[in-house]
Amino acid sequence: MTGFSRRRIVASAAATGGVAALALTGCGGAQGGGATGGTTSDKTPVRIGASVSATGSNGNIGRYQKEAYELWVEMVNQRGGLLGRPVEMTILDDQTDPTTGAKLYEKLITEDKVDLVLGPYASSVTLSASTVTEKYKYPLLAAGASASDIWKRNYKYVFGVYSVAESYFYGVIDLALKNNLKKIAIVNEDTVFPNATATGTAAYARQKGMQIVFQEKYPQKATDVSSMLTKIKAAVPEVLVGGSYEPDSMLITRQMKDLDVNVKMLAFSVGAANPDFQGSLGAVADHVFGPSMWEPDLKTPGNKEFLDAYKKKWSRDPDYHSATGFAGGQIMEAAVKKANSLDREKLREALSTLETTTILPGKYKVDDTGMQMGHIPVTIQWQGKEKAIVSPDNMATGKPKLPMPEWKAR
Amino acid sequence: MESAVAPTNALTLAQVAASGILLGGVYALLAGGLNLIFGVMRVINLAHGELLMLGAYAALGLFVLWGVPPLLALALIMPLLFGLGLLLQRLLVSRVVRQPPLTSLLLMFGVSLLLTGAAQQAFTTNFRSVPYLSGSVDVAGLALSLPRLVAFGVAAVLSAAVYAYLRWSRWGKALRATAQNPDVALMCGIDVDRARLLAFGLGAALAGAAGTLASFIFTIFPEMGGTYMLKGFAVIVLGGLGSFGGAFAGAVLLGLFESFAAYATNAQAAEGVAYVLLFLVLLVKPSGLFGLREG
Repeated sequence: MTGFSRRRIVASAAATGGVAALALTGCGGAQGGGATGGTTSDKTPVRIGASVSATGSNGNIGRYQKEAYELWVEMVNQRGGLLGRPVEMTILDDQTDPTTGAKLYEKLITEDKVDLVLGPYASSVTLSASTVTEKYKYPLLAAGASASDIWKRNYKYVFGVYSVAESYFYGVIDLALKNNLKKIAIVNEDTVFPNATATGTAAYARQKGMQIVFQEKYPQKATDVSSMLTKIKAAVPEVLVGGSYEPDSMLITRQMKDLDVNVKMLAFSVGAANPDFQGSLGAVADHVFGPSMWEPDLKTPGNKEFLDAYKKKWSRDPDYHSATGFAGGQIMEAAVKKANSLDREKLREALSTLETTTILPGKYKVDDTGMQMGHIPVTIQWQGKEKAIVSPDNMATGKPKLPMPEWKAR
Repeated sequence: MESAVAPTNALTLAQVAASGILLGGVYALLAGGLNLIFGVMRVINLAHGELLMLGAYAALGLFVLWGVPPLLALALIMPLLFGLGLLLQRLLVSRVVRQPPLTSLLLMFGVSLLLTGAAQQAFTTNFRSVPYLSGSVDVAGLALSLPRLVAFGVAAVLSAAVYAYLRWSRWGKALRATAQNPDVALMCGIDVDRARLLAFGLGAALAGAAGTLASFIFTIFPEMGGTYMLKGFAVIVLGGLGSFGGAFAGAVLLGLFESFAAYATNAQAAEGVAYVLLFLVLLVKPSGLFGLREG
């Protein structure tokens, strides 16, 4: 090779390596976030480890969960910690990547030797991380996951915090049927949680006599779904349900407007309930439905206190992922109290039989696989700039507005 | 799960085709800039996607802070990115221009990482977009996305302007001469160093323009550069490395192909199918559909 000089290659590789190293530290590739506190400094701290998506495709929502964990640590330490010992938490960034998540939990358990763990965000990461926590017999509260596959493996150490993905749209389907809407289209991102949502929704819809006129998957990180929407337009559904995460929920809604695809009822599994959905889309978000695992208006125990403390600490409103993260901490606290021990076997035992309330609607109660049974999700709808809880009736704050007006009529 | 059978008629197919063509617009600008840089300097700018990303964030910032509409912001962002390109070229890229390809690849990869990391710190990883235009325009029964129509128009005008510049202006010819053979160009009295500066700056400006357009069509996030780079390479392979006009045609072709593939199968398969097409083109006509360097 002419002009080839080994020295030049090595020099430039070293320079690039230096640049890359700088960039990675700048990226905050592995963020350590220790939250200490508490007045009982004469006892050794209880160390809890977790990884949460701070960056990556779900970094936006992952941060809500991280903030909640840190808030819970602060509040539990104000109460004297766990069994009188202060709590310290290390939260790493898994970038919503399942492989990274598993590696980080392995590191937290084997190298950092944490006493306890809390779950990551997203079913995909939880699915993979739980293999590690199961191996080391660390009870894992899946505070950011809901795909039922997580509980189909006969694991003994994974516990659900909120309703499984399959049931997310039951409220929407029931509402549709009440309003005589029969034809439904289901789309979903091809990853663990959305697949679970789509499968569960399709089964429930079929069971209730709806006609599925279109069903398709789209890839993760899709930037364009116009062909899919063109097909949907031709199939003329009355209801469109998206098993999606926040970025695709927004993408689909925007492209529906741009391609003039109209339906009577539109719902998304994730993102729709998030305040950022309306913040980014503005009037385009109006009339969209979505399931929510928690809402600020709910009169659940400790909810107001949580809201006020969260707003004070983080200068923004929590979304339901903050609430599920916080509830994860609350459940851990309750289990420790019940077992009166930090021994992981005793905690596993306690978590299997515990029944307790948290800021989430319903209560914590798991079946014999660890899957959550007691939680009750609600369905929200954007009505103007506010969300209204439209189902179930006993928690509703407003009536559903159907059908959704056509794009050109707005 | 396969989609239920949806009725296909000429109108639907035309709709799919229209979406595909419009999709190609932004790809075209990105690929054009990439192509220019490679053509003149034989440097594959792996940080090109990040230049697009910076353009997108600049457009977002201008819109959110001062209400500047993206089309107007172009007038600010293109010169800014041009300047950044000059800086990158002068400080970093000029040192690797006559080096083996691996060197420039490594360097630009490092720059790409640096820019992505900086953006993650500065802008956080939230997904954003510029809620600038939305809605559809009715054209002969087809619903054309208004934002994409506008973006396509701008991309076409910009591409035509650059094409004309390259073809007929003095410096444009100098760029082409440098692309053909830098040594001979130097002997003919062309300031080759200046030509390279110009090429990189212009390429960066085009990436910034692509980013500005992308800001109101796609979602903005710090890692967005990567996806567009892949498309950019696919476009260049299709259209022919070094051919500026070919890049535009290649972009539209890629858009069309992706659109039809997604329609015929589903959005997932469409991603893979686009790259199968690439392999085929590389096997059958490696110099791309529009052949060798021209314009």
